Amino acid sequence: MSKPVLIVGGGPAGLTAAHSLASIGQKAILVEKEDRLGGAPILSGYAKLVPSGEWAKDAIGGMVDRVAGNPLVEIRTGTTVKDFSGEPQNFTATLSDDSTVEAAAAVLCTGFTHFDSVNKPEWGFGTFPDVVTTAQVEQMISSGQGVRCPSDGRKPKRVAILLCVGSRDRQIGREWCSKVCCTVSCNLAMEIREELPDCHVYIYYMDIRTFGLYEDLYYWKSQEEFKVKYIKARIAEVTSDGEKLIVKGEDTLVKRPITIPFDIVVHAIGMDPNVDNLLLSSIFGVDLEKHGHIARASTYGAMAATSRPGVFVAGAATGPETIDDSIAQGQGAAMAAYADVCAVKAAEE
Amino acid sequence: MPIHEKSLIRPENLQTHDELVLDGVDVSGHWSTFIQSRVVTDYNEALEDEIAGLPGGEYIHRCWQCGSCTNSCTVNAINPDFNPRFWIYLIRMGMEDELLRDKDIIWQCVSCNKCTYACPRDVVPEGVMKATAHWLELKGHRPKSPSILFDEVFSEQVFATGKIEEGRTLRGFFKRSGQPLMQDWLVEMVKRMIRHLPLKLLTAMGLANLVRPRTRGWGPARAAIEEYVHEQEAKQRQALGLDELVKAAERNVTARNIADAAE
Repeated sequence: MSKPVLIVGGGPAGLTAAHSLASIGQKAILVEKEDRLGGAPILSGYAKLVPSGEWAKDAIGGMVDRVAGNPLVEIRTGTTVKDFSGEPQNFTATLSDDSTVEAAAAVLCTGFTHFDSVNKPEWGFGTFPDVVTTAQVEQMISSGQGVRCPSDGRKPKRVAILLCVGSRDRQIGREWCSKVCCTVSCNLAMEIREELPDCHVYIYYMDIRTFGLYEDLYYWKSQEEFKVKYIKARIAEVTSDGEKLIVKGEDTLVKRPITIPFDIVVHAIGMDPNVDNLLLSSIFGVDLEKHGHIARASTYGAMAATSRPGVFVAGAATGPETIDDSIAQGQGAAMAAYADVCAVKAAEE
Repeated sequence: MPIHEKSLIRPENLQTHDELVLDGVDVSGHWSTFIQSRVVTDYNEALEDEIAGLPGGEYIHRCWQCGSCTNSCTVNAINPDFNPRFWIYLIRMGMEDELLRDKDIIWQCVSCNKCTYACPRDVVPEGVMKATAHWLELKGHRPKSPSILFDEVFSEQVFATGKIEEGRTLRGFFKRSGQPLMQDWLVEMVKRMIRHLPLKLLTAMGLANLVRPRTRGWGPARAAIEEYVHEQEAKQRQALGLDELVKAAERNVTARNIADAAE
């Protein structure tokens, strides 16, 4: 029997890699540090996913189920990799429970960490209870509670969504676009308008990057069918007059300062490199790229390769990524890892 | 006054006080000129709905402020203050005071529809300009424009008779827009018509002015048109909340009359 492939991380990319390998008869060991599988969509309680509109718990839940019930996939939740050594086709990993596993290859699907909004204190998160993040709004919707002001539970009459919180900001060392927040915000704005038709939603943007087919399906639709309003302004600060949140900034289209009252302010938080990336980098001996994500060795040639032969990477571990692209990359990384497995088999024969 | 950028400040935002003491400090006079803030402190969501409730304004909410309308605008090429993109924005954000600053030029749209064909989002900016001009009139910010007066005279005649008789339309328009009938160009035109037109045609024209020909069996059509026009007008008045204003005013008058009678 051939050695398994070690997959680190049980989110969309890791679940896909595990399922892909199992579907061609290859064993995989899926190591997940949290006590449940599913990754960010499940752990952070996302609501409806872009672009399918399926609830995260159904869509990603289905991916978890088909892996969890598969005899070729050994699942180790609540576990991390402590040490990783060896050569391609012949790795040994020591896990946090001190057990060791042999692996022909490894796939890092270690994902990202949500930006922590307290790092932009001028926008009021952590100071005012009604300043929330997109992840929290997702939770309000997915829990069935609905969008309410955390301070007193009232239905908001006016909601502001601030884009690029923790993205495209040299002041806090985040020079990347987090790629999904525009589309996610359009989607959330429509969900808010659907649940609360009397509630007006304003999105403050620098650019709208609903790339590809998301343009009309999210950006246009939110404007044309849901009358969401878009204002080109980077907000200076969020304060409070004791009752409402006060959003201050410059409306760049009329060259005018604005101080507008809101019930809820939502931070469209970006995707940071996984906080564990430095540790992962030293354990697995892989390079990080400039921004702190796991570096890909090649853009066009070797699929999913890292700087270390035999160790592959997929999903948001490489940089901000959508769920569907993470899934595609998970499958691609599985393919690349399987090539190493085949090399082991060939050597044995 | 030591304000170098004074030309950039709106005159009404410059304030001096003959006698003003703030916290014990005398800030009277020219050397203590205040500049009033131009901060936008709220959005008025009703304004966009009002414009959207008038014909032509239906798609205003689609605008993403690219400026294609203003770039392609015939009038903007002559008058840079004529800026449909800007007005659409003011309406969407409910900046009514700001919009009213331009009330005397908004109606100048010549309906060339270049913006309509340039707009990537099908906002139909020409329609929005029409709706906005209409809004200004309905709300009483502008007198009815000559073209609206002409439209009214023209439509009323068609509704009444199912026909158009140019002489009558012209007279009605002049009367309603306060212009004298004896205008040089018109007198000259009539003189030449009398001189050159065949007698039969002249007689027919003269008769038409006297007897007012009607389309046969026009009654039901007229009723249907009037019903429709009445419906549309009622819808527009409702969108702008005009009837509520009138009712409120009537209630006040009634209340006052009752009070007067009681006395």
